[in-house]
Amino acid sequence: MSDIRLENLSKDFGSFRAVENVNLEIKSGELFSFLGPSGCGKTTLLRMLAGFEIPNTGKIQIGNKDITQLPAYRRQVNTIFQNYSLFPHMSVFDNVAFPLKIRKQPASTIKSSVLEMLSLVKMEDQHAKYPDQLSGGQKQRVAIARALINKPEVLLLDEPLAALDLKLRQHMLIELMNIHDLVGITFIYVTHDQGEAMSISDRVAVMNQGKIIQSGPPDDIYERPSSIFSAYFIGETNLISGTVSQVHDDYIELKCQIDKDEFLELDSTMHFTPLPGKELTMSLRPEKIAISRSKPRTQDDINFVRGTIEDILYLGTHTQYIVRVGKLRIRVFSQHKRVYFDEKALDWEEPVWLFWHDSDTWLIDEVASDTSPSGSDLEIASPYSRAVKKLGNQRI
Amino acid sequence: MKLNLSPAKLYKSLNLTIFTAVIVFLYIPILILVIFSFNDAKIITSWKGFTFKYYQLLLQNTDIKYAFQNTILIAVLSTLLSTVLGVLTALGLENKAFKGRKGIQLLIYIPLVIPDILMGVSLALLFNFVRINTGMFTVLIAHITFCISYTIIVIQSRLEGFDHSLVEAAMDLGAKPAQVFWKVKFPLMMPGIVAAALLAFTLSIDDFIITFFTSGRGFDTLPIYVEGTIRRGAITTINSLSTLMITFTLFLVVVSKRIRKIIL
Amino acid sequence: MNDLELKAAARRNRNSWILTAPALLWLTVFFLIPYLIVVVYSFLTPDIYEVKFRLSLTSYLDVVSSAYLRSLFLAFKLAFQTTAICLLIGYPVAYFIARSSEKIKNTLLILIIIPFWTNLIIRIFSWRIFLSYNGVLNDTLMRIGLISSPLEIMRTDLAVILVMVYVYLPYMILPLYSVLEKIDFTLLQAAMDLGANEAKAYFKVTLPLSAEGIFAGSILVFIPALGAYLIPQLVGNQQSLYIGQIITYKIKNIPRNWPLASALSLVLLFLVALLLVLMFTAYKRRKDKLKGLVA
Repeated sequence: MSDIRLENLSKDFGSFRAVENVNLEIKSGELFSFLGPSGCGKTTLLRMLAGFEIPNTGKIQIGNKDITQLPAYRRQVNTIFQNYSLFPHMSVFDNVAFPLKIRKQPASTIKSSVLEMLSLVKMEDQHAKYPDQLSGGQKQRVAIARALINKPEVLLLDEPLAALDLKLRQHMLIELMNIHDLVGITFIYVTHDQGEAMSISDRVAVMNQGKIIQSGPPDDIYERPSSIFSAYFIGETNLISGTVSQVHDDYIELKCQIDKDEFLELDSTMHFTPLPGKELTMSLRPEKIAISRSKPRTQDDINFVRGTIEDILYLGTHTQYIVRVGKLRIRVFSQHKRVYFDEKALDWEEPVWLFWHDSDTWLIDEVASDTSPSGSDLEIASPYSRAVKKLGNQRI
Repeated sequence: MKLNLSPAKLYKSLNLTIFTAVIVFLYIPILILVIFSFNDAKIITSWKGFTFKYYQLLLQNTDIKYAFQNTILIAVLSTLLSTVLGVLTALGLENKAFKGRKGIQLLIYIPLVIPDILMGVSLALLFNFVRINTGMFTVLIAHITFCISYTIIVIQSRLEGFDHSLVEAAMDLGAKPAQVFWKVKFPLMMPGIVAAALLAFTLSIDDFIITFFTSGRGFDTLPIYVEGTIRRGAITTINSLSTLMITFTLFLVVVSKRIRKIIL
Repeated sequence: MNDLELKAAARRNRNSWILTAPALLWLTVFFLIPYLIVVVYSFLTPDIYEVKFRLSLTSYLDVVSSAYLRSLFLAFKLAFQTTAICLLIGYPVAYFIARSSEKIKNTLLILIIIPFWTNLIIRIFSWRIFLSYNGVLNDTLMRIGLISSPLEIMRTDLAVILVMVYVYLPYMILPLYSVLEKIDFTLLQAAMDLGANEAKAYFKVTLPLSAEGIFAGSILVFIPALGAYLIPQLVGNQQSLYIGQIITYKIKNIPRNWPLASALSLVLLFLVALLLVLMFTAYKRRKDKLKGLVA
């Protein structure tokens, strides 16, 4: 068993706290991702695992072995670097053979294992080439072969696809998953791309400002974000703040201010029991909202809101509507399915109904400080505009 | 189509004209020298007929032979030592947090911006002050002294572009610090080291003034010999010697290109 | 920083000292200390062979005599003229190479560098053949009938400047080329797009951006030209001596005067240092000003 255990791990650079008190267990053979914006500490965490940084406090264990202060060359951990870091003065073969030559293995063993490894990454016919003769994807494959030839317990991948173009990235992602299945060792994957992390990982840890915000399987984080940050960072969402007005057995009523004296009464199922009067934020994913010109039939567990279409973006697989509700802006994704669709296409400035099931929302026990709907430069249904700014305008 | 020349085209043709003139200016004297080395005349005047006579005289001249040997000996030794010092120093200065970095870097730059003649004077007086007889040993010291700054800077510039993640990659793959150096870092420094060595070699065989101040009687390098011969007015063999030296230079240029190609 | 990192940093610092120690020691013993000895010798009493270890100020009194000041002035004048001519010729050449296609750039550069690799003394010697009273130039000109009696160029200041330009021109072209090569010429197009005419665009964009190369090239030409010995010795006017010649004669030729040579060397060193400091401050101020404009 070689589970990885991080205990109270912290790392400072001068007065900057890069990683703060991280506690985590990664199971043997798992494909685990650290996901977060740049500067969130994920790379520092990875470098501590690789042995390039020594933590200020805390412990890193693989199985029963404490490796916290072990130098990089004594760890059973190998890394795929962001720029691949292939040795430019060595051929593909020599690059992959490097770890074995360092350990002074006999030439025959080296040859057979290198060729085996190169065939795993489908590069056996390129073994005589030099790194500057390879494409980005090929370099990536060589880097994988080189990192795996030592049969490490853990493979660390530092934004391995960042330098590739979109099509190749999707292709390599699948290939990485296949390789993971083949070799069966633990993969720890660092990325700022939530799509990559969601599609590849068994579990994801969302990081921000040196801390792990939430960790769990991707669907868990997507459906049940524990904080505004993870709700926002994973996928897209509408965040609506309000005050609990009534608490029922299996749902609550939330009163949300949308203008000076305008309020919405929204129902939501709950996963914890707040007291009346408590301020909360509700996460409502855009794909869970239905949009229609006509008012749907009234049902107990459906929320209705009346709004006006402010913007329409045709995105191929779906259309995105921005709907103005008081001073709120609600984002709606609508699939192009004739059966659900109004006969005549919706138009700009058209009044519409939005409706969703009250169990499609998720309550977050957190309120952003600048929720005021009277704010002049109101972000689209997101009270978390500060986070938005920090994330660097990744939204449309 | 415009009929009149645009100013841009005018500048461009003007630049081309100046460039061509400069190339002619740079090569004419050398060309004349080469041609006149085959001139059958005692003094450097007009053309009197073709001859190989002076090349034969040159090969019989033992002074030239010794001067040539001395030049190569000094060049090889000073190249070797100044390159080794260059490698060590450049590696030491790579550490940006090194406390002595600024001071040492300054000390390395200063010799480059001071006229050579001053280094010659100061070394001559040093050797006089400590009563060392001038000769091969003092010339070697002088050549190493003026070569060091160049070798350090050339190797440093190569190290500057060095991708540190390669060192981490090697360590990650199990290489101990010594292995990291000899298997990854040193091979990648090689082009810089070769460039530094070639520069030191050329500087050494080319130097006149510092050698002039630090060589004693009886230890002539080629430039010293040539200057002495010109001063004495016995210049018949100088043309042919010069032609050989120019050929040697061209040979070096070709060799250095080859070496660079082989290494990277 | 934690303990391990502090220890590692201390170890790296120690390693740096060990690695740089040989060169540091070498430059201290053979570069710094010799200058101290020059300072000491400049205060000693001259002798026709060596020095007398008796304190004296005569050498400094000699330095201010008009003969030596005149040769110092001559060196500055010729070095300045050489630098100006090198800049004037070198700039278009560097510009031409920088704007040539990638394919021929390297060939053009090598064409400039090859003479530079040829032995200095040989290059000077070749000019003697070319310029001397009955040399190639006069011979040719007389044969075509352009002149009736030989021109006397050899042994004049003009010959010194001509040969110095010849020898030091690559020192000007190479740094100029390396900055001009980095300039994004689309900037120039952008400027013209914005309505600047070509001359204006050149003076507003290219010239300021190449200041660094002009600065480096000028230093690389001026300093060796100032301290030249061989060129004035072989082609210069022997009636008015260059400062390098005087220093060399006082060291090598009997009657020697080492204290005077030392004092002259120190004056030259001082002037070079002063010049460098002035140029660096001017350069830095200009750069700061540019930065201010951008910000």
